[in-house]
Amino acid sequence: MDLILEILSIPLVQSILKIAFIILLFAMPLGTVLTLMERKWSAMIQDRVGPNRANVGNYTGNGLLHLAADGLKSIFKEDTIPQGANGFLYLIAPFFGLIAGVATFAIIPIAGPIGDFTFQVTDIEPGLLFIFAITSLSVYGAVLAGTSSNSKFALLGGTRASAQMISYEVFMGLALMGIFMVYGSTRVSDIVNGQNEYWFGNLIPMWGVFTQPLGFFLFFTALIAETKRAPFDAPEGESEIVAGYFLEYSGMRWSAFMLAEYVAVAGVAVLMTTLFFGGYHVPWLHLWESAPQWLVTLLQIGKFSIVTIFFCWLQIQLRWTLPKFRFDQTMSLGWKKLLPLSLANTALTAVVVLAFM
Amino acid sequence: MSLATQQLSSLVTPPPQGDSDTSIMKIEIGPSHPAMHGIVRFTTYLDGELIVGMEPEIGYLHRGFEKESENSKWIQVVPYTDRLNYVSPLLNNIGYSMAVEKLYGIEAPRRAEFTRVIMGEISRITDHLTCVGAASMEVGAFTFFLWFIKAREYLWELVEEVTGARLTTNWTRFGGNATDIPDGFFDALQERLDKVKDIMDECDKLLTRNKIFIDRVKDVGTFSKEDAISFGFTGPMLRACGVPYDVRRADPYSVYDEIDFEIPIGSTGDCFDRYLVRMEEIRQSISIIEQAADMMPAGPIMTDERLMHYPDKKEVYGNIEGLIDHFKLVMEGHQPPEGEVYLPTEGGNGEIGFYLVSDGSGDPVRVRMRPACFNYVEAMPAMTVGHYVADIVPIFGSVNMIGGELDR
Amino acid sequence: MELKVKQVKRVDGVKEAFYIPAAFGGLRLTVKHFFRNLFGSRDVVTINYPEEKRPVSMRWRGRHRLTRKDDGFLKCVACYMCETVCPAKCIHIEAGEHPDLSIEKYPVRFDIDELRCVFCGLCVEACPKEAIRMDTGVVAMAYSSRKTFDFTRDLLRDNYDPNQHESPKYGDEDLPRPESQESALPNSQGIPAS
Repeated sequence: MDLILEILSIPLVQSILKIAFIILLFAMPLGTVLTLMERKWSAMIQDRVGPNRANVGNYTGNGLLHLAADGLKSIFKEDTIPQGANGFLYLIAPFFGLIAGVATFAIIPIAGPIGDFTFQVTDIEPGLLFIFAITSLSVYGAVLAGTSSNSKFALLGGTRASAQMISYEVFMGLALMGIFMVYGSTRVSDIVNGQNEYWFGNLIPMWGVFTQPLGFFLFFTALIAETKRAPFDAPEGESEIVAGYFLEYSGMRWSAFMLAEYVAVAGVAVLMTTLFFGGYHVPWLHLWESAPQWLVTLLQIGKFSIVTIFFCWLQIQLRWTLPKFRFDQTMSLGWKKLLPLSLANTALTAVVVLAFM
Repeated sequence: MSLATQQLSSLVTPPPQGDSDTSIMKIEIGPSHPAMHGIVRFTTYLDGELIVGMEPEIGYLHRGFEKESENSKWIQVVPYTDRLNYVSPLLNNIGYSMAVEKLYGIEAPRRAEFTRVIMGEISRITDHLTCVGAASMEVGAFTFFLWFIKAREYLWELVEEVTGARLTTNWTRFGGNATDIPDGFFDALQERLDKVKDIMDECDKLLTRNKIFIDRVKDVGTFSKEDAISFGFTGPMLRACGVPYDVRRADPYSVYDEIDFEIPIGSTGDCFDRYLVRMEEIRQSISIIEQAADMMPAGPIMTDERLMHYPDKKEVYGNIEGLIDHFKLVMEGHQPPEGEVYLPTEGGNGEIGFYLVSDGSGDPVRVRMRPACFNYVEAMPAMTVGHYVADIVPIFGSVNMIGGELDR
Repeated sequence: MELKVKQVKRVDGVKEAFYIPAAFGGLRLTVKHFFRNLFGSRDVVTINYPEEKRPVSMRWRGRHRLTRKDDGFLKCVACYMCETVCPAKCIHIEAGEHPDLSIEKYPVRFDIDELRCVFCGLCVEACPKEAIRMDTGVVAMAYSSRKTFDFTRDLLRDNYDPNQHESPKYGDEDLPRPESQESALPNSQGIPAS
């Protein structure tokens, strides 16, 4: 027993356990379940039934078995490489997006620390700058897939994807400047703890969404565009360039693209939760001083999950509500509207922070 | 200079390029492509994302309707017409039957005409629902599309109540209709129309005022009045350009001159106008149906001319003349008098005209159909060149090409 | 009626100049549908097809059937009306002499190739004896083999119910047979005769 505790107290072991827990039990399952939920929820919006046919005997689980069916299908499907494609780049392209999506979760705390133990893989000093670095990596996935497929549609999609993602990284960063200024740090744990303070006594928590309402909208928009979700899915452009950069993929590699998209959806949701909705902090919980530690942690995980799922749902809801932008409109929205707005937001925040804090 | 006076070929062929010039990308959109409703191919020349040349190629769905019709009896052509514009089959049925009636020089009884108006307008609504829904789906509004398809489902059930099939209706005959409207039909009709109105209102909120949608369709595929006329546009496409031309008013057929309705017209002739015109036409059609249902007279649904329709079974069993008529009609077919007619009717997509030639025997000499969307597809290069490749989607969606009608 | 023209209104207001109001308006609508279908009365038009079937109308033109007389024998007199009027030329009839001289002819073969059939219903209208009907309400026919769609006379025939037809005069066994067994037998693919 002592030996186990001893091993568990080694930081490396802890890190590995956290990676296993957060990525394998939180990020990937959330992404996988979202692939089904997207279809079920869109069916509810559209007065349909949604997938419900996959079955084992008479058990269908109301469509739940489609997860297994889809996974099995894509594993056993032939993995084709189109003629004239650049084999190596074509084969590795799908995994850039997936890795980038999963890596986002590394710096997200899903509950408050218990003593020395943090529910966070790593709390690095650059914090959110790490996110920017990682998300720019996912551009390579789209670009490599687009250029290596030897297909004109894929090439168009790859070009669109690279232009859009690189542009929106700018606004993504700028939209967060306000947050950095208000909470005075780029470190995630500092931002989360900063959101646990209250205005007017204990009335309103200082969540990012209240301190940075404009930043919230800008960052959300930029993140959706960054993950190429509707209404900014011109790179996929299913009606004009068929499927864009991953047009030629099949089987498990195609699934990797899909999974990357949904992991990115989950990533967006956790980022929104962490940066703008107080992270794991349950509002007004500090008033209950005698709360046992285990209950607090459970409540924190619960709150974090609920807000995350809400944002996943919101993204899916948005996708099935809004038509999509044309590619040049996406770009002009970014450069002509979001950029001035985020600059103005940064300047305004700077003035306010200097004046009142 | 209007487009019509320009050489159309300058739009079709791309600017000159040498072998080493790789700035122009040739890309084949279709025949199998999500935005190509049915099957059609656009050879598109792109400069970056900008379309600099386009060449439509049609004929992938050619089934030889006209030649096949020449080898059929007159009545056997009616099922073929179901398959022309397959989202509004009843309008084709009606157009063809009225052309044959004109050849005969007879008219269907008033009840039959009113029933035709009701069913035809239901069909027009389904046509517009499909077109607007599909075009919106392609600019990303998938929910809108499925709600419209739900509305269409309600109407197709009505069509099934009356004709016995949802799509392959084969409902009109020469001098009347195959079946009368069933009991309790009008209650169901009113209920369904109310549902369709509700869905229309919801969809209006969802899309018509949405800036993203307006951005996608506004000033895209603009076509001037003069160009539209010289390209031979009809129907909603022409009305969106601002020309109030509607065959139902310009050359009233059936009982349309007794019914009060407005012709919606647009101002600029872009995709947004086409969308708005079609949405308004759905509302007008609903009002036409309600008026026609109120005015519905009693009476027969089939003319009492001899050798136009099968005699009553009582006549066939009990009367030698009835039996002879029946057998003669089947064996020799309808024998309209010698002559030729052209009858334009307002289809869902524009003017549907049937040009028929008869030599007095039982076989048609010529059955020619004027497809409405042929002219639109011809104008696709003129509409798309200078736009982005993504604009093909709303433009082609608003064109509402129906393969069955285009290629026949 | 005079020509009335209505200019369609292009919405160009202040609300339409921004993305946010329409996005919220649309969200309100889709969220309403979402929660209505999640918790409330489900307004779903989809049918789980093989389990639930859509009620088809009385006039639905489905698979053909050949009706019978009171004595249980086919009404068809092999007059070739339906074969003549069929636009798809999918009906094939061979006439035969009936042992009862008061009945002139009967179909030895009456085949319908349901794959060619366009379900127009002209055969039903052309039949002088009301012997062919399309009111079976069979919406979908899905078989794995092309041959299965060749419906022969015995497959098209109505279900024979001895309680309904009290005194059958002639059964099929009394009648002359077509030359080869194969041509008259129901398809071997195991379609029920009903």
